[in-house]
Order: sequence, then structure tokens, then C-alpha cells
Amino acid sequence: MEALDQDLDDAELEVASEPMLLNVGPAHPAMHGTVRIVMELSGESIERCDVQVGYLHRGFEKMCERGTWTQVFPYVDRLNYVSPMLNNVGFAMACEKLLGVTVPDRCQYYRMILGELARMSDHLTCDGAMAMELGAFTPFLWMIKGREMIWDLMEEETGARLTHSFGRVGGMAQPPTDGFKENVKAVTKQILHIIEEVERLLLGNRIFLDRLENVGIVSQEDAISLGWTGPCLRATGIPYDIRKSHPYMKYGEVDFDVPVGSASDCFDRFMVRIEELKQSSRIIDQCLERMPDSGPVNVDDPRVILPPKEDVYTTIEGTIQHFKIVMEGLKIPAGEVYSYTEGGNGELGFYIVSDGSGTPYRVRIRPPCYYITGGLERVITGQMMADVVPCFGSLNMIGGECDR
Amino acid sequence: MNLDWVMVALSGLKAFAVVMFAMNVAVLLTWADRRQGAAIQDRVGPNRAVIWLPTPLAQGLAVLPAIAVAAALPAYVKFNAELRESEIGGASLVISQLAIFFVWFTALAIAGKVRNRGIRNSFDAFLAGFGDPRRIVYVGFAAHAVTLALGAFFRNTSTGDALAQVGVYGGAAVFSFAVLFGAGYAAYSIRHEPRVGLRLIGLLHPAADGLKTLFKEDFIPPKADRFLHSVAPLISFFPALVVLGVVPFGDTLCFGVDEQGGLLLSELMAFVPKEGVCTEGALPLGVIDLNVGVLYFFALAGTGIVGAALAGWASDNKYSLLGGLRAASQMVSYEVTMGLTLIGAFMIYGSLRVDAMIRWQAENTWGVFVQPLGFVMFFAAAVAESKRIPFDLPEGESEIVAGYYTEYAGMKFAMFFFAEYIAVVTSSALLAAIFLGGWHLPFINRAGLEIAIGDAVYFTQQLPHALVVVIGLLGFILKTIALCWVQLTIRWTLPRFRYDQLMRLGWRKLLPASLANILLTGMLILLVQGAGAKFLSGLEIAADLTMLAVALLGIYAVVQLVLFLLKPPRKRRLYAPSAAQFAAAMGGTRNARMQA
Repeated sequence: MEALDQDLDDAELEVASEPMLLNVGPAHPAMHGTVRIVMELSGESIERCDVQVGYLHRGFEKMCERGTWTQVFPYVDRLNYVSPMLNNVGFAMACEKLLGVTVPDRCQYYRMILGELARMSDHLTCDGAMAMELGAFTPFLWMIKGREMIWDLMEEETGARLTHSFGRVGGMAQPPTDGFKENVKAVTKQILHIIEEVERLLLGNRIFLDRLENVGIVSQEDAISLGWTGPCLRATGIPYDIRKSHPYMKYGEVDFDVPVGSASDCFDRFMVRIEELKQSSRIIDQCLERMPDSGPVNVDDPRVILPPKEDVYTTIEGTIQHFKIVMEGLKIPAGEVYSYTEGGNGELGFYIVSDGSGTPYRVRIRPPCYYITGGLERVITGQMMADVVPCFGSLNMIGGECDR
Repeated sequence: MNLDWVMVALSGLKAFAVVMFAMNVAVLLTWADRRQGAAIQDRVGPNRAVIWLPTPLAQGLAVLPAIAVAAALPAYVKFNAELRESEIGGASLVISQLAIFFVWFTALAIAGKVRNRGIRNSFDAFLAGFGDPRRIVYVGFAAHAVTLALGAFFRNTSTGDALAQVGVYGGAAVFSFAVLFGAGYAAYSIRHEPRVGLRLIGLLHPAADGLKTLFKEDFIPPKADRFLHSVAPLISFFPALVVLGVVPFGDTLCFGVDEQGGLLLSELMAFVPKEGVCTEGALPLGVIDLNVGVLYFFALAGTGIVGAALAGWASDNKYSLLGGLRAASQMVSYEVTMGLTLIGAFMIYGSLRVDAMIRWQAENTWGVFVQPLGFVMFFAAAVAESKRIPFDLPEGESEIVAGYYTEYAGMKFAMFFFAEYIAVVTSSALLAAIFLGGWHLPFINRAGLEIAIGDAVYFTQQLPHALVVVIGLLGFILKTIALCWVQLTIRWTLPRFRYDQLMRLGWRKLLPASLANILLTGMLILLVQGAGAKFLSGLEIAADLTMLAVALLGIYAVVQLVLFLLKPPRKRRLYAPSAAQFAAAMGGTRNARMQA
């Protein structure tokens, strides 16, 4: 980066002045503590800038290679930590793809419901934080209240609010609780109410619209060439949603729309997320209807799934099976696979390589945020300093996912 | 004592009172700001600061003032000979209503406490027997209404006189009993507590925060301009505090003057004529009545931003510099608009003195009705001047960290912070004075209450001079606080502008609109001057009707407030998660004091 200030040609400038170099972040309120942007400011407008990521790099992919396949789940929780359930499900599906098993219907619906709830929490956080960083504090608090409801629900289901580690290869850690369906219905109803309130407060607000409309525009071609996916890509008008384009689980069977934007500015990205919240609620409603109340959640495969606890303590087969899976890890056949799902921010891909031992040989993650943040420089160059806030907010860069 | 010296002493007292008012309301605002933010999240807000009192001291604090108050009223009734003869009707009204209020309020306070902590003795059980504590409020309201109706019905009859006697003596006795009983009950119920915490509904918290800043490190960046860095908070803080000096808080208070030139305090309780202000022994309730009036406000308010700009420049920080630049340009833009929006008001009032403006409004109608556009624009410009959301670009916390005070810590930071809140108070006070009638309340003049539309007078009630002044003072404070609250709500609702949008709003919208406002006002004034007598009397009736509307609106607001306070809190739980079920099984969290 240090090169930026060396190729200044003073002869071009009429007054003997130089543009101000401003180092924004990583410890800057708008940078979420994880990004550094070096800006060349002329007054308040950004002439050039350089976005530097990697401040939250934790050697995630390498860490995955030292445990069993199941021990990867706590790591993926910490990718996009606002919607960890989607990462859990994504990784479980990658393993299952290589293993060649399909989880029972009940589990598929369960995963879809929890995943859509996680997506709602992700979008609520993103839109709320975006409003807050523009100074509108109330919608943020409302939306965080909604997210809190989701997290309470997640706590009820999984025992943890944030890092659930709830996914398992071949199923889930626990079957749904007794009151699951009623609780989900109560929560989604409240969240739809909150969204309505937020829309009433923000969408008629001239200041809010002025701050977002025609700010941070990215063309369709740029978005595709940058590798954007998810709400940011859909805001440019391209209806690419993996749930629709390459349906997995039961997404092919439920009815939902893919909202797209037209102007591809910050406002479109905001609105695509708001609309997806409603679509998620639609998906959840349909899944709740179709999800069986009883039946197995995990695949019936002793090589993959831990035996029930009473068998472990009473039968020798159970003890051995438990010992093998815990100590050696479940054996995923040698081979490689790329599995992709729609995460909170776009295509969340897991490229996994197995050598047949109980330990992953390679876990490569394609985080949606990394490619989206790659476009940040293009988005904010030429904008004003204050526009960095909504632009960066609407791209929803999640440090854990981007830097891994 | 020499009258001049008294007036000088009183001026000092007034200045002190004004400064204390501004600072205390600012503290209140910080408190309200945080409480309101917490309320959105269903939290109680900051409530941790506490002063622990030993139980005997707390009991003494509860009982001794109560004994004093309980003794004072009967003693006043007993020894005031005038009261026994004349005006017994009015005194009876006041004392009986006061007594009823204290009875139901004490009962309500105890019942609320009982509901929270459970029944402990037979009196608790008796109060709990009422069921919902709201019933106590309803019974209290009914008692108010019944006594008022009795008083009105038997006015000027022999029964009425007898009732008035009962009202005065019985009321005084009941009042004393209620006060003593409430205090005694409070002292009794805390007898087993090892100590008693004084929290003042969280009001101590901002005070403790303010105190804390005194002990923080006073950091000056190594390459900063040490002098300017230190002097900038003062430049910011001082003007915010002194601008309130030109705003009168109440109507001129008239002391009587006896033959030796001394003060005659008894005049305060006398009735004064509707028109005119006394010439001798007059105490204007403003610190200073400058003939430049509002211009003084503009001059000093403009100085305040110099402090912000200096702070930005002296801090040796690029964010601070950006913040300082933004502050300077914002000041230049909005100062112009602020001045021009008021010119329409000056044209109508014909004066720059705030006192004269209020008197014009008292005679005719409030400024907001003659200058609605001016009111809205001045409000916007005033918010912009106080550098709060949506105009808080100089701070712009998510853009330029903390703007011009990024490099400030401790008390210097607190001075900037405090100056901002005081600016909210002063701008609200000025708005209230120029556009909302200042200390004037509808249908209340120097003589008392007079409900009149045009020439038709419907109701008159003479009120003592001091009471009129105090009512006006309270009205002014209420208006100021209401406007402050509006500003707080704006701060919680709106996002902030971008720099260029702010400039566009200032120069391309507010400035032309304020010029148009001047033109329009001029034309209207010419129109009114050229109009006939009939039109003028019509205007007077219209003015009185606006006052009627304001009065009705005020009553409606009070009713709504009471209804809001009586509404049961909407506590909903979507579902009971295991954690909540577990907590309930362990005895619940009801009695735990919620703290944030």
C-alpha cells in the first residue's frame, strides 16, 4: 500500500497541495474491527483507496486438518458468526455428498428451518447495523430485538446462542424440541411485525433514502467478474440464488421468490435483504407444515452416527462403535468434492478432500464475503468519505468468514 | 435594606439559577437520552450509581421533612387570621384537593411497593384487598371530582361556608396525617434493611459519570497545540451556558415598595391589574434584558463552534481536522439561515428583545401561529447548531471516529459533551420564548385566569400575582423540556445527512425558504395594516381561537399522559424457553433488581 503516496506528480497540481492520505481502520468504528482502508482524500471525496483484509485471519483451514470431521463443526461456527447454522449445514452437506448419504426428510426440513432462521438473523443484523451506522439507532435496536428472539430460539434448540456446533455429518446433534413448531411460528410472526415497523420508519424517510439511493453502484458485469453472489449480486438484478438455481435439500419443493434489485445501489442491497427476510419466513411456514412430527432425524448408518447413550453403556457393540467414531473419526471415503449452499451473504462453498482416514486432508472454504469485499474498492472510489459507511455496511463483510 | 443592593443580589441569584437550570436539565437530558434508548430495548437503562445511607439516616430523611410539612400547613391555617375571614373558599379548595391528592398518592405508592415485594403486615393486606392499585387512582380522581363539584354547587351559600370550614380544617388534618403516615410507613418498612440505597430513578448515574471524568487522565497528543487544545473545550462550553441570559423565564415579578424604599413582600400575594407592569420594585425574571436581545444569542452561539473548529485543528489528528472543518462549514451555513428565519418574527414583534416578543405573544397569539414556516426552519437550524443527529457530521461517529473531539479525554471531553446537551436546552428555551409564547399560557394574564374569545368573556378568576408568575415559570420550563424531548426523539429516529446533502439543504432549501418567508411576512403585515376594523377584530378572534386550541391540546395531552400512566405494561413473552422455565422453577427473577 505504501506505494500510493510515492507516485504523486506535484506538477499536475495547481496549488502546492497534496491529497490527504487517511488510514481508516482496522480499529475504526465503521470497519467492524477487521478491515483497513487507506484512502486518498480530496476534501471529502475519495480519489483512490486500497482495501486490506486479513486482520481476522486465524488459520482456519489449516486448523480443520488436525481433528476429525466432526471436530470441524465448531470451526465453521466461527465463519459467518451471525448465521452459524448455515455454515453447519453447509459443511455437513459437503461431507454427506462425499459420503453418499442423504439425511431423512425430517432432518432436511429441520435444517431448512434453522438455516432460514439463521439467514433472518444475518439479514436483520446487516440491515440494522447499516441503519445504525447512518445514525438511525432505533431501527437497529428493533432489529436486534428480532435477532435476539431468533437466538433465544436457537438456544432452546441447540443449547447455545451464537456458536451452536449443532450440525453433524448425517443429521443433527439433537431432534427438534417438543414446542419447536409453535415457537418458530411465534418468532417469525414477531419478526415480520418488526420488519413492518422498520419499513414504516425508514422507507418514508428522505434522509435515509438520500443516503442510500445512487450510492455505491456496481454494474452487473463487474459484480459477476468480481465473483459476487448472494444479496449483493441479486441487488444488481441477476436472480442467482443457489436455493433456486441449484436446489438442495427441499428447496425445490417449497415456493418462494428471489427478490432482485434494479439500480444495484446501497438501497437495493438493503431492500433485497428486507425482502429476503419475508421470503425466509414463507419458506419456514411451508417447512413447518411439511415437517413430520416424529421419525428419525439422523441417517440409520452406524458408521456415521453415534449410537444412543444407553447402548454405549450397556452393549459392547455400542461401546466399540462410539469409541471408533470418537477416537478415529468417521471414515469418509477418499476423494474430493465441492459442495455449495446459499449462505447469508451468498454462495458458501466447501471444497473438501478426504484421504480415507478419519481426518480431513484439506478443507477449503469459498466464503462469499471475500469476493464481495474484493469489490469494495471499486464501490467506494469516487464516493464521499461518509458514503463508505453505507457501502461497507451493505456489502455485509463478516470478518470471520472473509479472513478465515 | 437598600433596594439596589437587593436587586444586585437577586441578579446574581438569577444568573446562578439560570446556569443551574441549564446544567441540570442537561444532566436530565443525558439521563432521559439513555433511558429512552434503553426503553426501545425493553431495558431500564443506567441505574447503577447509588449512595448508600445508613438506615437511621434514611429514616430520618423520610420522617423529619414530613413532620415539618405536616406541621406547617395546620399552623398556617391556624395562625393566618385573614384566611379565616375572607377567601376561605379558595383556601378550602386548594387545601382539600391537596389533602385528597396526598392520600391517594401515598396509598398508591405503598400499594405499588406491596405489589412488588409482597404482603408483610395487615395494612399491606388491607391495601392489597383493593386489588389492582389503579383502583386507588380511580377512587382518588372520583374524590377530587366530588369535592370540586360540591364546592361549585354550594358556592356562596351558608352550607358552602360550613363546607369550606370543613375543607380547610379537615383537609389540613388529613393532609398532615397522609404525609406523616406515608413517611412513617416508609421508615417502618426499611427498619430491617442494613442500609438504604439512594438511586433517584437512575438520576445519579449521569452525575456519577460526570464526576468520573474529573478523575480521568487529561491526555494531550504529543504534537498537538497544547494551548489551543486546552482552550477549545472552554470556548465551546462557555457560550452554550451564557446564552440563556437573555431569555426571560417568567413574567416580571412585582415587589411592593414601602415608604423607606424597602421591599414589601406582601404585595406578592395581592392581585395586580391585567395591563401594564409595575415600575418600582420590579424584578424581571431574566438575567439581563439586553436591547440587542436575540443578536446576543447569535453572536455567542456562533462562538461555540469556533471551539469545535479549534479543537479539530489543534488535535493533530486527521479525523479531528475533518470534524473541525465540517463544524466550521456547518456553522457558516446554518448561522445565516438561523438569522434569516427569525427576521419574519422580528418584523411582526417589532423588537429584538425577547421579553418584548413574549409580551406581544401574550397579547396576541403565539409566534408559531404567525410564523409557522419560521418556526420549523428555526427548529431545523437550531438542531443543526447543536450538532446533534441528523446534523452531527462534525462528530459523525461511524465516519470520522468522534470528529473534532477524537483526541479529547476526561473533563475536556465531558465539556464538549455537556456543551452539546446544554445547546439543546438553550435552543429549546429560545424556541419556546420566540415561538411558543415563553412564560405565557393561554387565557392567563397578570390578573389571573380569563377565558375570553374576542370581546365575549366566559370565565374569570383572579389569582394572586406570585401564583400567576410561578405558573408562567412552570409553563416555560415545561415547554422547554417538551422541546428538548422532541429533540431527543429526533436524535433516536433520524439518520444523519451527508456533507453535501447538508450543504444543499442549508443553502438551496432553507435559505431561499427563509427569504420567501420574509417576503410573505412583509406582504401580510402590509395587508393587515391596510385592513379595516372588522378584519382586525376578526383577527383577534382568530388569535383567541388559536389560544383555545392550544389550551384544548394541552388538556388532551394531560389526559393522554394520565391514560398512558394507567395503562398496564405490555409484557409479553413469546414462549418460555428452558432457561426461563428453569428460572421460574427456582423462584423466578421477579424480585431481582434489574440493572443495566
